[in-house]
Amino acid sequence: MVTTQHRISWLGRRQARPGQPVSSYSRRGRYLLFVVPAIVVTLAVIIFPWLYTIYMSVHDWQVGMPRIYIGLENYANLINDTRFREAVWRTFVYTVFAVVCPTVVGTIAALFFHQEFPLRGLVRTVYLLPMIATPVAIALVWTMMFHPQLGVLNYLLSLVGIPPSRWIYDQDTVIPTLVLVETWQWTPLVMLIVLGGLASLPSEPFESALIDGASTFQITRDLTLPLVMPFIMVAVVLRTIDALKSFDIIYTMTQGGPGTASETINIYLYLQAFAFFRIGQASAVVLVFFVIIVACSLVLLWVRQKTRWA
Amino acid sequence: MSERQGIRYSRRRVLQATAGAVAAGTLARHRALPASASLRQEAADFDWQRFKGEEITVLLVTNSRSDILVQHQSEFEELTGIKVNADVVPEQQQRQKQVIEFTSGNPSFDVTVVSWHVQKGLFGRGKWLLDLREFLNDPTMTPPDYDFDDFLPSAVTFSTQPDGTMDTLPLFTDYWIMYWNKELFEAKGVEFPTTLDDVVAAAEALHDPDNGIYGFVARGLKNANVPVWTCFMQGWDVKPVDDEGQLQTTTEAAVEAATYYQRLLRDFAPPGVTGFNWNECQTTFSQGTAAMWFDGIGFATPLEDPEQSKVAGKVGYGLQPAGPVAHHSGMFGDGIGVTAQSNKQGPAYFYCLWATNKVNQARFLAAGAGSPARASAYNDPEALANLVVPQEWVDTLVASGQIGLPSLPEIVPVTEFRDIFGIALTNMIEGADPAEELQKATEEFQPILERSLQS
Amino acid sequence: MGIASTAVARKPERLAAVHLRRYLRRIGFFLCIAILLSPVLFVFFWMLSLSLKPNVENTAYPPVFIPRHPTLENFRAVFEKSPFDLYTRNSVIVATASTLLSLILGVPAGYGIAKAKSHGLALFVLIARMTPGLSYLIPWFMLFRSLGLNNTLWALIITHLIIGLPITIWVMMGFFEDLHPEIEEAALVDGAGIWSAFRDIAVPLARPGMIVAAILSFIFSWNNFIFAVVLAGRETRTLPVAVFNILTFEQLVWGELAAAALIVTAPVLVLTLLVQRHIVVGLTAGGMKG
Repeated sequence: MVTTQHRISWLGRRQARPGQPVSSYSRRGRYLLFVVPAIVVTLAVIIFPWLYTIYMSVHDWQVGMPRIYIGLENYANLINDTRFREAVWRTFVYTVFAVVCPTVVGTIAALFFHQEFPLRGLVRTVYLLPMIATPVAIALVWTMMFHPQLGVLNYLLSLVGIPPSRWIYDQDTVIPTLVLVETWQWTPLVMLIVLGGLASLPSEPFESALIDGASTFQITRDLTLPLVMPFIMVAVVLRTIDALKSFDIIYTMTQGGPGTASETINIYLYLQAFAFFRIGQASAVVLVFFVIIVACSLVLLWVRQKTRWA
Repeated sequence: MSERQGIRYSRRRVLQATAGAVAAGTLARHRALPASASLRQEAADFDWQRFKGEEITVLLVTNSRSDILVQHQSEFEELTGIKVNADVVPEQQQRQKQVIEFTSGNPSFDVTVVSWHVQKGLFGRGKWLLDLREFLNDPTMTPPDYDFDDFLPSAVTFSTQPDGTMDTLPLFTDYWIMYWNKELFEAKGVEFPTTLDDVVAAAEALHDPDNGIYGFVARGLKNANVPVWTCFMQGWDVKPVDDEGQLQTTTEAAVEAATYYQRLLRDFAPPGVTGFNWNECQTTFSQGTAAMWFDGIGFATPLEDPEQSKVAGKVGYGLQPAGPVAHHSGMFGDGIGVTAQSNKQGPAYFYCLWATNKVNQARFLAAGAGSPARASAYNDPEALANLVVPQEWVDTLVASGQIGLPSLPEIVPVTEFRDIFGIALTNMIEGADPAEELQKATEEFQPILERSLQS
Repeated sequence: MGIASTAVARKPERLAAVHLRRYLRRIGFFLCIAILLSPVLFVFFWMLSLSLKPNVENTAYPPVFIPRHPTLENFRAVFEKSPFDLYTRNSVIVATASTLLSLILGVPAGYGIAKAKSHGLALFVLIARMTPGLSYLIPWFMLFRSLGLNNTLWALIITHLIIGLPITIWVMMGFFEDLHPEIEEAALVDGAGIWSAFRDIAVPLARPGMIVAAILSFIFSWNNFIFAVVLAGRETRTLPVAVFNILTFEQLVWGELAAAALIVTAPVLVLTLLVQRHIVVGLTAGGMKG
């Protein structure tokens, strides 16, 4: 269960496991040979796209038109494009909510699912199904549930006396609605990671807390949560990367609409590349987008390191 | 102004055709019994089997016309001995696939359907499709009973590039009409409106949101909503891009049309209309919750199917409302053509001939799948006898043909045009000022248009 | 729960009150579990309900929850209108083949990275995860075109490696790290080569890990949508694309849409329920999606 955390922590610092013989350099080199086939295949599949993207990003090329070298003009265009800037801002807003909501709900769920109760294994698995289900299929069912006149959700709201919502059909509610679907889908991932953390906790501090007469709530707040915080941070990092890149759900449900109200960077990229066929411009978007994702991840890893040592 | 000429011409043809429907019923039987012996002889001499054993791939768009072509495909395969692989893909992906594959230089399909109103400029510039004029004039490639002159001139104009290249054969034309719910109109004693102003009055009279009835519905979804606005603009006799290539999108007419669009969709449409494409509109209208729906004529069939629709038998089909200055009907259309790089151009061309022949055109009409591009189809007694839609639909179709006018500009960046102005229109439904939004959108689109004209 | 029960054994006269409190807490606990599960269950229930109802019931308002006239007509229509059997076959082939390739490449790689403790390579795996999938599409299309692979299942299998390989490496690294090194060391001392230590000792021990890796990469390859949208042709289309294609033109037929959605997602849901124990372990270890 600890492995995820270990792996992520590699990114911050090197660690030696006690009691493990240190491999000699020559053997280490031979172990690396095991990795060569995977590396070769991966590079073969991704290196061409990367070179192609970098090359195209300094060209003005729209499909059907001549290709012209323009230096960094595509990047300058992006900075000046209000629509792109809005998309960046929207992506951040979306990401913050699409990280915070699943993290909060997922942590609470993990605290519950960590307890012993009948059929726990089955219940945990059922709870996982949203992240396993095919996103396109899920998006389609949600779309039908969100229908402003015939959708089942507005009916359920009316039962408890809440006025109908326009869900994905309104510029003000579309982002919260998409966050709702994203939360539904990815809360299980957070739950799993935190669950793994809970399972690995030592039992001594809890026993002494009980002897001191602490309540369940106090124990959870003062002991459990700080101890699983590193795991929660792992979930936050992974969730952030995924939320920034979120595509299937948004594309299937709104294609960035109404208007541009749910147009995130990824949707903007899709439009540039596959609706307008501005390949050069789209390539610049890819590179900027990648930098944003890496930057966000590094910031979070740094924050995580801080909380660790604090 | 070849377009204008085309329309005048088409009116004559259609009138002829309609008038002749009763008198010249025999003429319509040509496909079973060719009218003259010599024609029959020549037709018999024509070697349909010359490409026997070949195999072609056809890229179609998901709609009821493609359904008909696929359903009767074996008829073509028997006639010619050519095997057909038909790929039917939704419009958006189909357009995407075409562009990507043409650009990569070696498309996987030999025949494709082209939306003139969106792709004509792009395809013309790329010279992606074969100029079919040579084949058309070659008696070994085109049978005499194909009867090219039967095509409505407006459709022929639509399928011909400005330089005279004919890279598609006309497959169908589409006009925008007003679907209306007769039951709702009768219940309130409202007359069907024929002008833009009357439409507002009728929508106001019928709008009853507390009881789940909305006065009007049309596309609010960005991109898809642009034709609604450009059709309204036709009422002021202004095109979004004039014949000199100048944007007319900030003119008084454009702003008035946009304000009108805003009024109808903001005040009388169901909540959430900003996310409605034609299919959500169709769902709303077929549930009997909208009094009027303004969209293409080809969406009628499901409305008349009691399995799917609560308004079957109660739908009225009216003309696009007249504006203060002019009365047109927004016209759209598809052609079918042969990939220029295909190494099976002959068999591919045969498929195009078959797809656009009189029999299939009559089938389009009978199924209510949009307006055929051939005059003879409107004259086909069998088709008229087997209509799955009311006669009123045909009448509206014929009348629309007389006032048809392309509604989207024939420029290369149509997709960007629809996207940028579509966003502006969606913003208006949400309350933004039409003049400001159009100003903003025009500023954004102007450089894109200029760039496309430079090359 | 255990906390509460041991902490409260104080005065006998308070025992009844304590029992009552425990009882109420237990109810509250199951209520919370029910609240957590209900959104999950409702969405899947609604998908099933829509797919089994005729269209009249699907567009009725107020909605019909339990089908009054249950029918399989929607499923029949889906298979009749488009070659869903072909699409299913394609999905199975692509997901299976890319999973096998991922295992062949990823298991040794995971072993090598774990043994060599190569942190840079672990980072490399994470970077692959950070790259937006969309960015590969146009270059890939051009590349496959020139290799003559377009509209073949090979194109999809190769691209789906990008999904399966990082998952496999990530999961396998975890399993190999947790293996006791002593056993291998003993084999190495006995003169066996690294390769045979891997093949004869590490791999058999890591079989549970391989099962998890295989299941996960199968599921996420199966679910992938965006690669196939652009790269698949008529003969090679996969299920998610086919379902999306139905969505875009037939809004009216909710029953068929739900039936199609169920057809695509049911296999992975059933698979998950069948191997539930492995999945929980694997996902916790991997914390991955495509």
